Amino acid sequence: MLHQNLEWFFPHTTEEAVKLISQQGVILHGGGTRILKTSPKSIKGLVDVGKLNMNYIHHSGNKISIGSASTYDEVIRFSARTKKLSMLVKALSEAASTPLRNRITIGGSLKDFPIWSSLYAPLLALNAQIEIADKHDKIISLEEYLETGIIKTKHLIKRIILEDDPQVIGGVKRFVLIRFEYPLFTVAVALRTKQNIISDARIFITGVKGRYKHCKRAEHFLIGKELNDENIQQAKKHFAPKFVSDYKYSAEYKEHAAKVFFTDLLQELKGTVK
Amino acid sequence: MKLPFKINNKQKHLELLPNETLLQALRNNHFTEVKCGCNEGECGACTVLLEGKPVNSCQVLAMSVQEKEITTVKGIGTLYTPHLLQKSFAEAGADQCGFCSPGMVLASYSLLKENPQPTREEILVALDGNLCRCTGYVKIIDAVEMTAQKLHSNKLVME
Repeated sequence: MLHQNLEWFFPHTTEEAVKLISQQGVILHGGGTRILKTSPKSIKGLVDVGKLNMNYIHHSGNKISIGSASTYDEVIRFSARTKKLSMLVKALSEAASTPLRNRITIGGSLKDFPIWSSLYAPLLALNAQIEIADKHDKIISLEEYLETGIIKTKHLIKRIILEDDPQVIGGVKRFVLIRFEYPLFTVAVALRTKQNIISDARIFITGVKGRYKHCKRAEHFLIGKELNDENIQQAKKHFAPKFVSDYKYSAEYKEHAAKVFFTDLLQELKGTVK
Repeated sequence: MKLPFKINNKQKHLELLPNETLLQALRNNHFTEVKCGCNEGECGACTVLLEGKPVNSCQVLAMSVQEKEITTVKGIGTLYTPHLLQKSFAEAGADQCGFCSPGMVLASYSLLKENPQPTREEILVALDGNLCRCTGYVKIIDAVEMTAQKLHSNKLVME
């Protein structure tokens, strides 16, 4: 249960919001779904992001900016209109149910990074950048945001920035038993190809030991090669995420399943190589 | 504290605490047509429309939606003046115990308002956040299709 004397703040500027969250026990409120799931008594105040003008999706040149207060549903609708962000939208449209997708915000999901997140793997594979505000505004890669531990500090995520590169093909797979349940893991692959040869690759998996893994060995193997059956089978040997056993699945089973998903994903991408 | 909300196209003042969900605030202020099922955002019994889109009111903190348009099932039709969609639910036998019906009707209403001729697959996706434990889903989906058919054959616009 949240505290009965909870204090609400409705700032109009990000500077004001950042100042407010520097107080102990005061956190940001986007859609509120995660706050209600955990409901810690330690929360003394909530800073609503509704008046910060962070609910937008802009496409300018080869950049797409997604304001952090945008909901999953709004990103899905943008994609339906523009045919952009298909890889990200595949993951988002399978995450949670329709009424929850109308509430869950991109910023809230990034800040919390639950183990079942469907958002992180595709964004990391697409080499997303994020603009954050703490003492100063800065733009950093999402990977740096995780690696350097900024995610654990008090800050406000203003927007995600993605490159709209027609040379990049990608896909995402979530291990679920029914469509919108929490995935056991999510694997995402983004490849840049030129004349059937992979010139760049980014491969990430979430839901693993340590929450996420950048699969660099598999990437190095694939770069400079053609995406054919033989190379896909070889790439599988370089893809070895580590899991933790739980009450349902052993770590070995999850690793095996992840390898199957990874090769299936590469097989699907094989048909779309430019 | 007492705060103003816009519910079913009318200004209403709700007595609430700052930690209350929209579901609690609505039910404690006599909007009992909004049902409390799982209270975890899984069942959809508490569905209301927020700016026309379905949300689980148990997963929304009331204080955060003060300036938004909230619609409960009574906002689209009542027992004496039912909406076309509500009539279809009755005709198709899509309501047995009726507990999930407010949420089912609102999720369907939101879909049909935006997409008056949905495919069966689109109906399934729109209702993916609403569980029924007695009628089953076939008659509910039939009711949505029946409404779409009526809209089409009578050249009606979803109001």
